Amino acid sequence: MAELSLHHIDKIYDNNVQAVYDFNIDIRDGELIVLVGPSGCGKSTTLRMVAGLEDISNGNLLLDGRDITRVPAKDRDMAMVFQNYALYGHMTIYENMAFSLVLRKEDPNVIHKKVLAAADILGLTTQLNKKPSQLSGGQRQRVAMGRSIVRNPKVFLFDEPLSNLDAKLRGATRREILLLHKRLNATMMYVTHDQTEALTLADRIVCMSMGHVQQIGTPLELYDSPNNTFVAGFIGLPPMNFFDVTFENGSLHGKGFEVPLNDEEKSILANYNRKAITLGVRPEDIVEGKDLTVKVFSNENLGMNTLVHGHMGDNIRVTAKLRGWANYKNGDSVKLDFKRKHFFDKETTNAIRKGDR
Amino acid sequence: MNEQSVKLDRMRFTKNTQSSRLALLAIVFDVFYFVSIYKTNVDFYYNILMGASILYNLVFMLAAFLSSEGVKNYKPGFSYVLGVLGVIQIVRIFILPVKAHATTVTVGGTEILAMSNGQFVRVVIYLVASAVCLCAAAVINMQKSRALSAHIAGLEAQKA
Repeated sequence: MAELSLHHIDKIYDNNVQAVYDFNIDIRDGELIVLVGPSGCGKSTTLRMVAGLEDISNGNLLLDGRDITRVPAKDRDMAMVFQNYALYGHMTIYENMAFSLVLRKEDPNVIHKKVLAAADILGLTTQLNKKPSQLSGGQRQRVAMGRSIVRNPKVFLFDEPLSNLDAKLRGATRREILLLHKRLNATMMYVTHDQTEALTLADRIVCMSMGHVQQIGTPLELYDSPNNTFVAGFIGLPPMNFFDVTFENGSLHGKGFEVPLNDEEKSILANYNRKAITLGVRPEDIVEGKDLTVKVFSNENLGMNTLVHGHMGDNIRVTAKLRGWANYKNGDSVKLDFKRKHFFDKETTNAIRKGDR
Repeated sequence: MNEQSVKLDRMRFTKNTQSSRLALLAIVFDVFYFVSIYKTNVDFYYNILMGASILYNLVFMLAAFLSSEGVKNYKPGFSYVLGVLGVIQIVRIFILPVKAHATTVTVGGTEILAMSNGQFVRVVIYLVASAVCLCAAAVINMQKSRALSAHIAGLEAQKA
């Protein structure tokens, strides 16, 4: 397989709109990188630049150390799987999967072996004589993947491949992609706006916003140590709660509420005394306790957990994900504690880590 | 799986385009044949035989086209249809062309052959070519469909 490097990649369109700013990453052989971010953040543009479907305005793209920045898409040895499958409706599944190899004038017997092998991997052996219209969305997406596999490319590129599928099928197909990656041990770049896909699939995640890379790291790093409020808010479901607070006398003071800190947390904020910061708390890090009084306005039972939405202090909204089944009524008061806290600089929105400032 | 088996196995997923194209080519030769005859403006052709010929050409084209689709999917029954159509194309040489070639008509006070030697050779070539294509399509399809059936039976036996 292959190592892929993107060095200082920019995308500037003819109308001077810049879609991607200084994108840098070294993708290791066999790694699955997920580009995640909201719509319009530049993730698909980056993928299309890697595929050769968009020109790279500045920077270098290296595949196994070879500069392929100006190499045409057809010569890059990469395969792309699109959101809308892009299958030929008049061809059978077999013909769809064999098509790229037929165009390359490969030996028909070799094509046959490759198609059968790919169909076997994807569980499509019994579907090979059908037309795409006879398959479900998930099966069609598997055919699109099969078409990539038969080419045995150096890099697989996925552009939101699960977005057209319903929730149940999306989960199943996601697991199939993960198994496929383990089986092929291929270098893959995967674009999605769904953070669940990103967290479950990725070896490393690239979180993007407004064309800028916000953070690159393992799923756990992004979840546990977000670089800034954007990453903290984007990764995690339900999203992190943010509160404007001031660090004073060893605790955090918000509008109408006070959050006590332990010694380690105080040491992190040692340089922020009497300064306004942003406190971030994940809903799953809020537990029933004694420090804060929250007035409930909504209670959503999810089975294993309960999402409790309420207000604390001066009408500050908070969402807690409590373990077990709870039945809080509108107007009930509940005592909660913040178990784990994240601190962010109010001006820069960057995470405050020990020794900052 | 050796190369021969792979070649056979491929037929499970690919169409028999060879037979199908030959059948379509037979239709093309037939079209050349009847265009060559119908454009001839001599009284000899204006009789009931010409009407029957037009009807048969329509039936022939429909049958050959449907058979070309059938053999595409290795259906052995269509080989027989193509074979019969091929034989009929040869028989047709002895109906209109031979008769016309042996008949003289008067045009502008001059007696000439209803079908000239050149035209006769041409239409015979078209009909023979059409017949050869049909028979070849039939034979190829029969061979392939038998081989495919045997291969599938072998695979099923292996599974069992």
